[in-house]
Amino acid sequence: MGGGFAGSRGCLRQSRLNARLRRPYPAAMAVPPLLFVTGKGGVGKTTVAAALARRLARRGRRVLAVEMAGDGSLAALLDQHALPTQPASVAPRLHGVRIETRALVESYFRRLLRLPFLSRRLFASGTFHAVTAAAPGVTEFVVLDHLAQWTASGWLGRRAAYDTVIVDGPASGHALRLLRAPRQLGALVGRGPLASTVNRLTTLLADHAHTGVLLVAIPDDMAVSETLETRATLDGLGLRLTRPVLNRVWPRRFSAADAEAVAVLRARRDEPLLAAAALEISGRREAERHLGRLRRAFGSAPLPLPEICRGTVDSAAIAALGRSLERALVGHAS
Amino acid sequence: MPADAAALAALLRQRLIVCVGAGGVGKTTTAAALAVAGALGGRATAVITVDPSRRLKDALGLGELSNKPRSVALGNGVARLDALALDTKRTFDRLIARVAPSSAVAERILANRLYQELSSELGGSTEYMAMETLHELLHEERYELIVVDTPPSADVRDLLSAPLRMTELLASQAIDFLKAPAAIITGNESRLMRMTLGAVLKALESWTGLTLLRELADFVSGFEHLVDGFRARAGGIAQALHAPDASFVIVTTAEPPTIAATRVFDRDLRAGGFPIGGTIANRVYEFPPLAATAGRQVPAALREKLVANYADFAALAARDRAALESLQRDTGTPLLATLPALEEPPTSIAGLRAIAARLARAESVRRPGAAGGPPTGTVLR
Repeated sequence: MGGGFAGSRGCLRQSRLNARLRRPYPAAMAVPPLLFVTGKGGVGKTTVAAALARRLARRGRRVLAVEMAGDGSLAALLDQHALPTQPASVAPRLHGVRIETRALVESYFRRLLRLPFLSRRLFASGTFHAVTAAAPGVTEFVVLDHLAQWTASGWLGRRAAYDTVIVDGPASGHALRLLRAPRQLGALVGRGPLASTVNRLTTLLADHAHTGVLLVAIPDDMAVSETLETRATLDGLGLRLTRPVLNRVWPRRFSAADAEAVAVLRARRDEPLLAAAALEISGRREAERHLGRLRRAFGSAPLPLPEICRGTVDSAAIAALGRSLERALVGHAS
Repeated sequence: MPADAAALAALLRQRLIVCVGAGGVGKTTTAAALAVAGALGGRATAVITVDPSRRLKDALGLGELSNKPRSVALGNGVARLDALALDTKRTFDRLIARVAPSSAVAERILANRLYQELSSELGGSTEYMAMETLHELLHEERYELIVVDTPPSADVRDLLSAPLRMTELLASQAIDFLKAPAAIITGNESRLMRMTLGAVLKALESWTGLTLLRELADFVSGFEHLVDGFRARAGGIAQALHAPDASFVIVTTAEPPTIAATRVFDRDLRAGGFPIGGTIANRVYEFPPLAATAGRQVPAALREKLVANYADFAALAARDRAALESLQRDTGTPLLATLPALEEPPTSIAGLRAIAARLARAESVRRPGAAGGPPTGTVLR
């Protein structure tokens, strides 16, 4: 991994820390069929989800990338203007889809009610949406049920539609709500058809061979704290967590002796050249502190992804991030 | 990309400043710095912060979260600044207790199982609390300037419509429906249809195992009693936000995704008729092209590393400058100030004062990229 990203320099270069992370992981640690990518807003969840989806598709898996945010950010990273609400091809073996929550809830209840005139009236009243929005877990339950169809194997052992479904987001608060929904609803419903679906989803989420959560943070106190809180909650729910990702890590450019020399020089006469170095040194130090926090909490080494210094995240950068993610999660390099 | 000193000076003469912006842009810190600038300018100031980081709480001298104003020691003995830090997790219980017509109603809601599941997640409750606290402070008339930090809503309309939405949900037909589900069939509908609906509701009840719908009905009808209290406050808050002595500040960074989000904030604020005071750009890299003489005194091996490192920061600075210029050009919103990337976020009141000083003397803010002057990455240390 020390070779770093093709055609890059400076902050696109992988950190030295990664050399220690190259140990292969057992096959059981491979990317699960259903993977949720989440973290605090603005940490780069979408970039991570897109990079991993592209990479796994390139490596021969049939992948579905799911946009939860509905803001077109995942679509843009998959070179699409917008993603449709039914899976559509965006690259070889890679499909993309957008989750339209309200429409999903409507179609779920339309199937349940069977009578078109009644469901039309129900949805038009405005009441229905107020109620489903307020009822705990109903919307989330419908979304999860929808996601599960893509990884469920078909009749007579037919293959599932996709090898891997990568769900981009939502941000950790909403993700917790989503992943907690079956349990929450399970406590409220009695017996009946709903209860059996709820049980099926609860089992699916807790199945470590099927479902996983990838938490993304950046070297920032609040982002890492939120990640640690999310980890504790998900752990309590019995969900499987992959190694966490710390995005936007500055490379280690300067040795401890360099840092000291810079401090001495600045005390004598400061100038932009030295100020930039001090900014990089403190950024790197901060990142290492957060890597340590994550390592202690997760009991596994976090994967640092490098800060990207250019104006846009181009396809070469995405491909490089994808390779790092694959190595870290699947445990073998290309 | 010169900062607009006149617009910033005008902003600091307002009575109400609302800081909005995407998550993670340093909104809370910027709100605190604006409040410090206002207080040092001689005005009795309050700042309402939402979920501040531990560092910022320390900087403001706030030991714990509190919905009551705490005095901040600014160190010059004259300026008056109070700070409040909203605890978004526990605020809703208090709100219920406050607007409920009787303690019996409040207790009934608080004891409802659905409420307990939902209370930390109820739509817009954080947004509502920030606005609610603002309403109280405005009413008290103790302050000449109130600066409000806002929760990181993805959509500014969610934030600003929170009081109204809360009222709408409560006043909506949802309550009627749950009390008497057949009510959605009105007037001259056939009897057959009423019967069908009855059957469907029975089916829904057995599908959910009975309990869910009933608890939901109980929950929502408990809320019915709160409508008047919410509605009165919503009107007052909306009026204050649109008043001529109120201004919105959009806090941003220069990073591409944030700039995209900031454009949306700008558009939505304009669409809602809210007065925009301008944009403050945070964590901006300001590194001019390197002078040929730079680092002459540094040993060659180290100098090489320094120059390579500087190239990245100069690239980031160029990116930031271009992004902010195009933002300003496209939106027409004045850029009030650019604040440099810091080696460490402010952890003391001195750190906040340094940022405030930079805000207060905006006219002396150098054009980023201009040659000369001290490196801005470090002036605040």
